[in-house]
Amino acid sequence: MKWLDALVQGVLLGGLYAQYALGMALMFGVMRIVNIAHGDLVILLALLGITLVGVLGVSPLVAPFLLVPMGVIIGWALQRGVLNRVVKADPLPSLVATFGLSIALQNLMLQIWSADTRSLSLGALSSMSIELGPLYVGVLPLGVFAFAVALTACLHLALRYTKFGRALRAAAADGEAATLSGVDAKGVYALATAIAVGILGAAAFCQATRTTVAPADGGAQLIYAFEAVIIGGMGHISGAFLGAMIVGIAQVVGSRADPGWGILSGHIVFLLVLALRPQGLMSRT
Amino acid sequence: MRAILKVRNLCAAYGDFQALFNVEFEIAAGEVVALIGANGAGKSTLLKAVTGLISPSAGEIAFAGESTSRTPAHALVRKGLAMVPEGRRLFRGMTVEDNLRVCLDRSRTDVEQALRWTIPRIHELFPVLKERRRELVERLSGGQQQMVAVGRALLAQPRLLLCDEISLGLAPKVVKEIYQKLPEIRAGGTSIVIVEQDVSLAKSSSDRLYCLLEGRVTLSGPSCEIGLEAISRAYFGAHS
Repeated sequence: MKWLDALVQGVLLGGLYAQYALGMALMFGVMRIVNIAHGDLVILLALLGITLVGVLGVSPLVAPFLLVPMGVIIGWALQRGVLNRVVKADPLPSLVATFGLSIALQNLMLQIWSADTRSLSLGALSSMSIELGPLYVGVLPLGVFAFAVALTACLHLALRYTKFGRALRAAAADGEAATLSGVDAKGVYALATAIAVGILGAAAFCQATRTTVAPADGGAQLIYAFEAVIIGGMGHISGAFLGAMIVGIAQVVGSRADPGWGILSGHIVFLLVLALRPQGLMSRT
Repeated sequence: MRAILKVRNLCAAYGDFQALFNVEFEIAAGEVVALIGANGAGKSTLLKAVTGLISPSAGEIAFAGESTSRTPAHALVRKGLAMVPEGRRLFRGMTVEDNLRVCLDRSRTDVEQALRWTIPRIHELFPVLKERRRELVERLSGGQQQMVAVGRALLAQPRLLLCDEISLGLAPKVVKEIYQKLPEIRAGGTSIVIVEQDVSLAKSSSDRLYCLLEGRVTLSGPSCEIGLEAISRAYFGAHS
């Protein structure tokens, strides 16, 4: 029973990681933009959410509806103002630019919110659970997981079957040829980053309600997102979801085996996939 | 006949290297024009300037009667300027159908229904693309990839189609098959520019030709009136 519970809790944790990973799958997996500030943006949005609720008195249930548009605006401005200037075939300029942004954001957050850990309480909903056979499953983690499944499906379908999805994949494959096909590559990239960071707005709400956040936590979210995208295979939205599930399950199962092995187990599984199938589990090559 | 493209005194440079010097180039509606010249003569640079991929250092480009200087490259496609780029430049990782749809999604809208290029029409033009429509483009042969590149450009509903070395690296049989489709494309009122290394093919497929040498137009006129000797002098320079 202990291991079945670990598996279910791992899947639910994977639901949270999937939300970090889906934004990363769009930016890194499809557009090949390495956004080192990815985790810091989750933390920034989570702290903004906590401030909206704690200082400005916004209802916690309204907060995600404000955080997602805030993420969209931040993402759009980030791509238009910074990343569109450095997007080239070489990923190094975007890596350096977002590394600088990551350091600046961490220091800004420390300045504003200090190094304390904070969280967002949803009252009774935070601890509510339902009985599923022999297991008790938290309502909130279940909601986070269901949202991740819906988001993965929407993003997958949007990339595959919409004009925007085709334009984004074309621009990522060959920006100049996409321009010659009528695609405004920079505009499409700005929209894609807006969506990616908008998803982080939802992830930030889930993070702040499920666990705690502090300005220096962004690195961990970045690593989990990278691991999920690489395990699943570059360019595959459903692969990022699968990767997030694997990282989540490995962490929970590892921590049940020994409380100190949780995070390490996730990294070991990632390294095993990298060694045995470096192209990712969902890649057709 | 009304000019669809007018290029006046065009100069273009890559840093300190000047690639085009006062180029004059004009295409009438419905005309097929060949652009020939050795490697490095400036043919691709001229096409890049026309499509807006590079900004000219001087001169004027007018497409369908409007200056293109303030129009971004992607917006020119919607006005009816499409290009088959050198090396095909297909979108890897995408199916044949998705490659075609990228252009169709952003095509010119003011086209008569009967003249409109649709995916079924592209399948009629190149039947093999119908059979392979769900396959990734990188799995197609070079000739089939070139057909996708031509089909993709046609789905933009072009007034002017620029074809940059579409015969490069293809078997003669495939080149012939693609060139045989040009009259059908032209019949819909589309003007065509063919940049071609095969001078005989360029001459026989066009109404007029221009020859470039070291960034300058060295010869222009009706293809049927220009002899191979004149082309040779213009192509290699007077000293040859």
